[in-house]
Amino acid sequence: MKHFLVRGMLALGLAFAPVAAAAQDRPVVTVGQTFIAAGLDPAEGSVGWALTTHGVAEKLFTVARDGRVVPQLAFGAERTGERSWTVTLAEGRVFSDGAPVTAAAVADALNRTGEANPAARASAGRLSVTATGPLSVAIATERPTPVLPSVLAEWAMPIYRMTESGPVFTGPYAVAAFEPGARMRLIPNPHYPRAGERPEIDLIRIADAQTLALGMMAGEFDLAFNLPAQMLPMLASRKEITVKSFPVEYQYMMWMNTRGGPLADPAVRQAIDRAIDRAALARAVRAGVPATGAFAARFPFAAEAGTPHDPAAAAALLDAAGWTMGADGRRAKDGVPLALTLWAYPQRPDLITFQPVIRAALEALGIAVETRVTEAATDTARSGAFDLLLWAQHTAPAGDPAFFLSLFLGSTGANNYSGWSDPAFDAILAQLSAEGDADRRIALAREAQARVAEEAPVAFLLTPEWHVGLSARLADYEPWGSDYYIIRDDFALGLGR
Amino acid sequence: MTAAARAAAAVCLAWLAVCAACFALFRLTPGDPAAIYADRAGVAGAQITAELRAAWGLDHPPATQFADWLLRALGGDAGLSFEDRRPIADDFARRLPWSAAVGAGGLALGVVLAVALGFAAALRPGGPADWASRALAVMAQALPAFAVGLVVLWVVAVEARLIRPLTAQGGDRLVLPILLVALFSAGSLARVVRAAFAEVRAAQWFRTALAKGLSARAALWSHGARHMTLSLIASLVPEAAWVVGGTAVAEIVFGVPGLSERVVAAVAARDYPVLQAYAALVAALMLTVRLAARLTIRRLDPRPAA
Repeated sequence: MKHFLVRGMLALGLAFAPVAAAAQDRPVVTVGQTFIAAGLDPAEGSVGWALTTHGVAEKLFTVARDGRVVPQLAFGAERTGERSWTVTLAEGRVFSDGAPVTAAAVADALNRTGEANPAARASAGRLSVTATGPLSVAIATERPTPVLPSVLAEWAMPIYRMTESGPVFTGPYAVAAFEPGARMRLIPNPHYPRAGERPEIDLIRIADAQTLALGMMAGEFDLAFNLPAQMLPMLASRKEITVKSFPVEYQYMMWMNTRGGPLADPAVRQAIDRAIDRAALARAVRAGVPATGAFAARFPFAAEAGTPHDPAAAAALLDAAGWTMGADGRRAKDGVPLALTLWAYPQRPDLITFQPVIRAALEALGIAVETRVTEAATDTARSGAFDLLLWAQHTAPAGDPAFFLSLFLGSTGANNYSGWSDPAFDAILAQLSAEGDADRRIALAREAQARVAEEAPVAFLLTPEWHVGLSARLADYEPWGSDYYIIRDDFALGLGR
Repeated sequence: MTAAARAAAAVCLAWLAVCAACFALFRLTPGDPAAIYADRAGVAGAQITAELRAAWGLDHPPATQFADWLLRALGGDAGLSFEDRRPIADDFARRLPWSAAVGAGGLALGVVLAVALGFAAALRPGGPADWASRALAVMAQALPAFAVGLVVLWVVAVEARLIRPLTAQGGDRLVLPILLVALFSAGSLARVVRAAFAEVRAAQWFRTALAKGLSARAALWSHGARHMTLSLIASLVPEAAWVVGGTAVAEIVFGVPGLSERVVAAVAARDYPVLQAYAALVAALMLTVRLAARLTIRRLDPRPAA
């Protein structure tokens, strides 16, 4: 115990010791959010994601505001074989310690992360990266991929340089002091363009979102990220606070178990899809827009129109499928009542809020619905022991549509929770997996979503909105990119003067 | 075997039993940590999940896993977190001072308040202190600490702006969490103190003390303090158990980067090594508190042990 206490006190004291001097001559912006990096090594867990969102790490490619994958530290990428690519690096990029970004450094970083972190091997298997020139690397992928830039835009792929004092990155900010999982002091990376215009950032983790909102109201934060919707009216009453809501890339959806029972019939699934009023769901959670398909509208491959709310058409579909309405207001077929269980999980409170809304819509259609809650959503999804399962998922974390469509809806997808198997859909997926042309990939992704809408193994419900509280000096901040890109190169630019 | 050795052996056995029970409980809780991790990381797939399970030692029989953990823990190594692959001992070492400050500080302040209130209540039954101690005790039973914490935050930080409890460096971040734990401990402890002093006041010999010319206040304190202390120490053992939970609430509400906040995240991730380390630590703490209380009571109580 004594050992713990002494080490902890020393850690707390030393972690912030260098900051006092640094903080004297440059303004400090205070950012509160519900998560913070647990470490500084991208080879560990989800550290790469956290450091990217903190504005510390960059990758060879990234996802732009419009959903396109664009170069970041790279200049471009060219496919040279089924499993081989050449990536050219942008000139003049520098780590925060002044060392240049070289092909050798890029190779070292990607090879090291690939060996240690399974997340870096998820999309194309292990990447073998070799420096072939000062600004050129050859990348051999374990599995073929037509979209290596998307793979390199994944959060597990930051570029860094290992030094005696730890990893050094290239982003607009560098870490000056760090209390893992709790607090981080960021200073402008002196080698990043316009460094002099950036303020310092005091990044603080507040686990509870309501506390975060109260902290915003107390004037403790310049930016509070992801505020709870029920606190928005209170925040709106404070004229010094600006609240901005923005659609995120997570999608709320409802899996329908196609393995047996009534939901094995596509007509029943289509009826359920049409019976749900997405606008009512948005009202219930006070934020969000009806989903048009598997992807948020900001992505170029998003579907253009979603399933219409049409209870009459839903009833007609059920009548035609033989599920007729009885005198008790419930539908049955051959004496078997149409009764379903609807599951949700508390880690996403919005999904719990959806349950009574969806149950009311389905019961109006004559379907008996029992709602249940599970703490272990993944177990429930994998077991197939559900009829309807509400789910939240970031469907394009690296700006590539194939990730979600193949992993969750392909016949052999590891997360094919609905148990759906459709040769026509798989054929589209096969084309998408092999296609390298961006426009053609967009068309194929939309075609795949249209097929999903026809068969309805899943009902896409809502693109949720998140809420950011801003003080007067950050009122111009524009949030986008969910929680993947919070502190960006344009963050608080000008406040450092 | 001496009494001290028997007591130490009993504590070790109890600690081992608690650790084993928690180990089993964590693994019986629905949710596969490898699948949860893979889902969160967007890397789901049977191969990746199997790789993770093997890397984390979850493919070994549970008895082997427990024996491995126990051997490492006895050597001072709490293992690596599933979630971030960092040494748990280092993480706990950073967080423990925060939790210790909130828990011990809150309990200490609670005891001071309880003694003051309880003594005043015993001196003047039905008076303001009696009323206040009863109100605090009822509040602790009836109101959720989480909601009270948010109200305190609202009043102190948002409306009055007395301190900056979420972003200040060091001490200011501890004021409200300590206050919350103290408020929720003080009521019930004050009633214990009041009852102990009331017993003394009702005793026949207390009249003799008054007859010696002492004021009621002085007589009650000088002749009742030891009895009150014994009662208070006995009631601190169950109160310490509440303080562990109360500290967790305070850490979450006030954004204190302590152990409990880390454990809440570990529950969601089914991060067994973190949960196991926390359970072992809390079990050791509670057993130590219990043993210390027993020894102190034995030392202070003039009556021969039963």
